Amino acid sequence: MKKTLVLISIVAVAFSCRKSQFDVVERTEGTADFTRYVSVGNSLTQGFQDGGLYSDGQEQSYPALIAQQMALVNTDMDDFLQPTVYGNGSGYIHLEYISNELEVIQATDVGGYAEDGTWAGWGGVGLPYNNLAISGITLDQCVAMDATELTVNNAVLGGIELAFPPISQPGNPFARFLDFGDNPLLGGTPIQYIDHVRNSNATFFTCWLGNNDILGYATSGGVSTSIDLSFIGLGTIEFNTLADPTEFGMKYDSVLTAFNSIGAKGICATIPDVTVVPYFNTFTVQSLKEDYGYNSVYIEEADGDVRIATDADLILLTAADTIELGAGSSMTQYLEHAQVLDAEEVSATQAATVAVNAKIVQSAGQFDFAVVDMYTILNDLKPGVMYDGVEISPAYIQGAGFSLDGIHLTPKGYALVANEYINEINNHYGSNIPKLAIGEYRGIVFP
Amino acid sequence: MKKFLALFLFSSSIAGFSGGFQLNLQSVRATGFGGAYSGFAFGPAACLYNPAGLTTIKGHAFMYGINLIMPAVSLQTDANDNIDMTSPMGTPMHFYYGGEILKDKLYVGLAVNNLFGSSSSFAEDWQGRFIVQNINLRTFSFQPTLAYKIHDFFSLGAGFVLTTGNFNYEKAVPLYSDPADYGKAVLSGNGLAYSFNLGVYSKPVDNDKMRLSIGVNYRHSQSLYLGDGVATFTDIPSSLVTTFPATTAFTSTLTLPNVFTAGFAWTLKKDTTHSIMVAYDFQYTLWSVYDTLSFDFANIDTPDSKTDKLWKDSPTFRFGLEYGFRNMLFIRAGGYYDVSPVLDGYLSPELPDMTQFVPTAGVGILIKEKFGLDISWMHQDKERTAALTSAGWSAKYHRIADIFSFSASFNF
Repeated sequence: MKKTLVLISIVAVAFSCRKSQFDVVERTEGTADFTRYVSVGNSLTQGFQDGGLYSDGQEQSYPALIAQQMALVNTDMDDFLQPTVYGNGSGYIHLEYISNELEVIQATDVGGYAEDGTWAGWGGVGLPYNNLAISGITLDQCVAMDATELTVNNAVLGGIELAFPPISQPGNPFARFLDFGDNPLLGGTPIQYIDHVRNSNATFFTCWLGNNDILGYATSGGVSTSIDLSFIGLGTIEFNTLADPTEFGMKYDSVLTAFNSIGAKGICATIPDVTVVPYFNTFTVQSLKEDYGYNSVYIEEADGDVRIATDADLILLTAADTIELGAGSSMTQYLEHAQVLDAEEVSATQAATVAVNAKIVQSAGQFDFAVVDMYTILNDLKPGVMYDGVEISPAYIQGAGFSLDGIHLTPKGYALVANEYINEINNHYGSNIPKLAIGEYRGIVFP
Repeated sequence: MKKFLALFLFSSSIAGFSGGFQLNLQSVRATGFGGAYSGFAFGPAACLYNPAGLTTIKGHAFMYGINLIMPAVSLQTDANDNIDMTSPMGTPMHFYYGGEILKDKLYVGLAVNNLFGSSSSFAEDWQGRFIVQNINLRTFSFQPTLAYKIHDFFSLGAGFVLTTGNFNYEKAVPLYSDPADYGKAVLSGNGLAYSFNLGVYSKPVDNDKMRLSIGVNYRHSQSLYLGDGVATFTDIPSSLVTTFPATTAFTSTLTLPNVFTAGFAWTLKKDTTHSIMVAYDFQYTLWSVYDTLSFDFANIDTPDSKTDKLWKDSPTFRFGLEYGFRNMLFIRAGGYYDVSPVLDGYLSPELPDMTQFVPTAGVGILIKEKFGLDISWMHQDKERTAALTSAGWSAKYHRIADIFSFSASFNF
């Protein structure tokens, strides 16, 4: 009797002492080495959002988020150094609530978040930055195939001292934190972007280059720009064209060879289908009929003819202002060619995207680097995907994942991207970097 | 670009209340042997377990019991090694009266108990706060009961059930503004439900050597209609207050399931000193009635919310032993095997329900066959990894609960 009672009490106490808490998960890098993580890419990698590079956005760039998680695995990891901007940085778009309407306020509008006073002097060349991404850079500009490209790339990225337009110093303002040397045209020694890759001392890298080689064409409505530089012997330079997949593949190989030559391992991301972003799918033929009462939507073709648009023609978000004034509502008041990525151009863009993605996968495979398929991941967001009770979709403003410029992501979107990188890094290298809690990162800031 | 009229659909799933959680803790004696009581159905607790069992009462009997549920629940996600739930201790009670009105014929009873309930809470900034921050349901049921002994072998019983419920649910709203951060929604309401409880009890063998009793019980489902719910939204960006106003009314219905139980109790007696009883119950809960949870808001701009639950009907197998010494001291042990009604893909963090075997034990003393004191203990300890697909949520759960129960009874 007594014994039984004693036994029951012992069992009870023994069981009660068990804790429900899970042990701290032991973290490992697997076969990777995160000691010095370097990221290369364009605006998406630099932390650009809401049409600008500003402090709050940059702090939540996806490489910064990945680095923060890697540090939980490798405690000896170098601090992740980004070329810090202050306050509003380059200036950015925000929302205001005026007369019961949500209004999108551009940086340059009255009451807009204009560029910070420190922006013109931003740079700090010479520091060992971990985030080498440059807004606007194409893969094409990363490495030159010939002397002409070397000159043009140097001018575009680093600027050039020329007394006449159209090029004036600096080239790309978002590239000012890197030293591109002197322009060969004036007898100087240039430093290419790929040289910065080679000198990065990276032990691990993420590479999301190539978006602008496609996106530049699409966001300009399929209208390329050419600059005649024949007067300095460079011929006519075309911008915003669709990448040639063969040349793209060679240049991608060069970048990965550069990383491989310094012993770095890493991960490459494919290029998203540009048609997934709100920039191309906020104003649609259907929405203009429903919300603006258009009977049909009239658009201008490349040859100047005006025709009725179909669902396959994508109207750019930047057409918003002219749509307010009735653009596209008639044969005479049509949407200009540069305001629409028409069906033919959409097909060309998508074909090029698929082709360059095949090159990325092939190139990464040669070096046994991991690949994160952003093309599929972002396409899967179309119907809306739930993360920890929050929906992320490509819907403009409502979708939480894309920022007010309709192309770049919000911190919440960048956190999603960071998690996908982490997932593939873990899969490929046998590491177990913890994921980010996406809900902790903001989407759109509402007034 | 200027005006941007955006129609805001609040498509975030309100994962909501999955906790129509049945508290099978309605008699301390029964809990001691695995809760297998529909066949035994002895004393006033029969009101709940099998109303026909009230016919075992001689004179008048009262019983009061309380359970101390001490849960410890932890979660692990891809982003957090460990998250502890901050749920408080639960204290469901029960009170029963049973009395003989017409000797050996007609019996009356009353049950007052907390038959359903659950309470879960998490830290303010926890990872799943857009699914649930706090949730709480407490029901009080009142059941006047009649039982009639047709024959020594055969009795019938029926109770009318009136249930009041109090519901409270809080979550974060994923709309960000500076500096308020994310918004918050609090939904609370009260409701009333009616139901019934039927029982059949038979005692085919009852002599000096042994006793065999068999019981069948059916408790009908209850629809707790929250007609006067109030939703409160705070820290909502000013541009969206028409969609999520400071307060709006809502209605909702929580459906509590039908429960069917059948069982037997077989007692062997060796002289008047020693006895041993074996009891077994098969319980089947029709959780499938709980297929959706929706909230309809009075404010037209506030999007209504509907969540599919798709719980499945599920069995529980209960068994136990009771050793009796001189009808004064009782030692009990048993357990039950509970199949979770919640399928993978539907497991909400506030109620990490698990398929599990739960051991139970208890002791009772009876003084002069009038005053009874009982204690029991039950221990749950189980892990489960499952997702709540509609919320994009997945976690590994470890739930430990110790339940200590005490009751006092008196007959005359």
